[in-house]
Amino acid sequence: MLRRSILSAAFRGRATRRPFSIVAPRGASVGKERPSDSQSKVFGFRETCFRGYNGFHGLRYQIYQDGISIAEKGPDPFSLVADELSLLANRLRSMVATEVPKLASAAEYFFKMGVEGKRFRPTVLLLMSSALNVPIRESIADGVSGGLSNELRSRQQSIAEITEMIHVASLLHDDVLDDADTRRGIGSLNFVMGNKLAVLAGNFLLARACILLASLKNTEVVSLMATAIEHLVTGEKMQMTTTSEQRRSMEYYLQKTYNKTASLVSNSCKAIAVLAGQTSEVSMLAYEYGRNLGLAYQLIDDVLDFTGTSAALGKGSLSDIRHGVVTAPILFAIEEFPQLREVVDRGFKNPADVDIALGYLGKSCGIERTRELAKEHANRAVLAIEALPASDAEDVLSTRRALIDLTHRVLTRTK
Amino acid sequence: MLLRSILSAALRGRSTRRLFSVVAPRGASMGKERPPDSRSKVFFGFRETYFRAYNGLHDLRYQIYQDGSSIPEEGPDDPFLLVADELSLLANRLRSLVVTEVPKLTSAAEYFFKMGVEGKRMCPTVLLLMASALNVPVRESIADGVSSGLSNELRSRQQAIAEITEMIHVASLLHDDVLDDADTRRGIGSLNFVMGNKLAVLAGDFLFSRACISLASLKNTEVVSLMATAIENLVTGEKMQMTTTSEQRRSMEYYLQKTYYKTASLVSNSCKAIAVLAGQTSEVSMLAYEYGRNLGLAYQLIDDVLDFMGTSAALGKGSLSDIRHGVVTAPILFAIEEFPQLREVVDRGFKNPADVDIALGYLGESCGIERTRELAKEHANRAVLAIEALPESDAEDVQSSRRALINLTHRVLTRTK
Repeated sequence: MLRRSILSAAFRGRATRRPFSIVAPRGASVGKERPSDSQSKVFGFRETCFRGYNGFHGLRYQIYQDGISIAEKGPDPFSLVADELSLLANRLRSMVATEVPKLASAAEYFFKMGVEGKRFRPTVLLLMSSALNVPIRESIADGVSGGLSNELRSRQQSIAEITEMIHVASLLHDDVLDDADTRRGIGSLNFVMGNKLAVLAGNFLLARACILLASLKNTEVVSLMATAIEHLVTGEKMQMTTTSEQRRSMEYYLQKTYNKTASLVSNSCKAIAVLAGQTSEVSMLAYEYGRNLGLAYQLIDDVLDFTGTSAALGKGSLSDIRHGVVTAPILFAIEEFPQLREVVDRGFKNPADVDIALGYLGKSCGIERTRELAKEHANRAVLAIEALPASDAEDVLSTRRALIDLTHRVLTRTK
Repeated sequence: MLLRSILSAALRGRSTRRLFSVVAPRGASMGKERPPDSRSKVFFGFRETYFRAYNGLHDLRYQIYQDGSSIPEEGPDDPFLLVADELSLLANRLRSLVVTEVPKLTSAAEYFFKMGVEGKRMCPTVLLLMASALNVPVRESIADGVSSGLSNELRSRQQAIAEITEMIHVASLLHDDVLDDADTRRGIGSLNFVMGNKLAVLAGDFLFSRACISLASLKNTEVVSLMATAIENLVTGEKMQMTTTSEQRRSMEYYLQKTYYKTASLVSNSCKAIAVLAGQTSEVSMLAYEYGRNLGLAYQLIDDVLDFMGTSAALGKGSLSDIRHGVVTAPILFAIEEFPQLREVVDRGFKNPADVDIALGYLGESCGIERTRELAKEHANRAVLAIEALPESDAEDVQSSRRALINLTHRVLTRTK
């Protein structure tokens, strides 16, 4: 439930720098310098950062592990596309201006908050755009293709905007669905302005996303984003209305996780490829990257909810379990300790049950197996990138490295 | 606020037959017989498959007699009857479309499509009639066999527009209930009251997302644009209603813009989509759009009048639901033009029932009601003109559906409920 702290902090009007401060390398630094330029670049964009990722926070930081600096793995993925993201943010802000100022300010609320590192989805999409910048037709002259490629890039940026609007809209509605009045004592939008405005603001963003989507005049892309929207709703519904049996099912949980977290990024990655005129094989690779990255991310998120910044169990926010949301580590633990099933079935309204569950979890391999599963998905994401059509172009190579780098960061983050 | 009574009654699980009973002709019958019972039965037989919850365009099937004169050509060109079978098909298709992997949500969404409320099919009726009215061959070279196959597919795509429109409409109603905090709707539970805001929001999102899927499957980018515009207009209209300044509340222009967004945009854009799918020229598509727009506006204006009048011709006998909720509609806005003193009263909001009475007083002295009816008539006429400007055709189904569309504009004006 990392996203909730983002939302809360954002509403508090402060940058959420505190939860996600840049940390010095842990362990011994092995010689390479930290990418300082990119730091200031990211902070400089505070005013234009996006908010409200459904979990993809703070990957910019906490990137060192075992003393190996990320610089060895290639350029900072976020800095590669930082300028473009800034452009995107401005465009998005002007798009939300409507004849009805109040609503525009409500919608802008989410795009204005300067929260560092909150640009994961657009980052992935823009990197993917570059990674797929492989000419399809050699016959196009440079001049023409230059113009075409500008237009293509602009359309791909629209995908990033659309994805962001859909995402924030779903967060706004989720707040209403989750009755998020007392979110760590801070007001969510629906608390501050009421459920009405939260619902309306979400609808507004969604409607705008539809308009922008329609303007791309590409029916396959419309299908992909419509599918993503539907999955988001289904995923939320799955979370709201599970039966006991479903709550104990790993398969159900993974399906729900795909719907809620991975579908949007996977379908928008595919849309990026489709707009680029790529073959359906390549489009599927883009899809697979997004899907596996999203799943890996959520699985680690589940782990961190138990472990937090330390390696010790029970030091995380435990937000999921306290809200009765049963995630992968617990589901794995149930396989080893069937007694845990009863506890899970009781729901976790009783804090004592939370402790009992933690006990079983600690004895089990639940955490490790979840990490393993996340690693599996991260590896598949890497394989997808490696299977993309070969290219010598520098920007293609560096962005592909960056996409692979992201899969590592997803696994190694501790926050 | 007719919609609320429909929603309430529907949720009560009863048919709204009591609210919308078929009425005998008022005054002296002028010779034409009442439609035979079989027609009523046909209608009631569709109770199981009726759509619910139109945003006001209800129940034109009834209350169609006034001044003792029956509507001419009511028999073969009864708009609703012309497309009844198709609507039934559509209802079934829609119901199967909402079946998802998640049963609870299905039953919530079905809730709205299942309630048998007679006459609640205005919008799909308009769209299907428009589809027939535009069934003018665009390319003569297509052989019959091919063209009939194509025309089946076309019809099926146009039916999809009707379904999409219905889903968008119900989704917006579900969310509006949340927005209006419709807990205590005449003591009956709206969906959000019965199942909570959460499920109402989610059910609305679900329908909306299904509409998107269906829309995408049509693979027509102009149609996607039109429906996206309609969706955006719905949201903007709702926002306009929620956040008006005093000045805006007193502005006829603002009111008409809001009314277009909330009521007419969906039907106008979907009418246009029907035309676009049929491969019609942009001129013809605009005519379809104009019909929908003017019909929708005429409808809402009469709805405003009826909120004051109700079934009688007397002022203040209507439900007065709009004014009691602080919604300022056309009759009051016209009255303000004649009686500037009314402006103050309006600005106070209408929380105080005494203010409602004061406003009614001014309204009664003014020509507010008449001028609203006049404006509605103007729009209805424009709708008729749009139909009359459509490309000529001798085909019987084209002509009868066009007559039916014109018939609808009369019904919109003459209904008293």
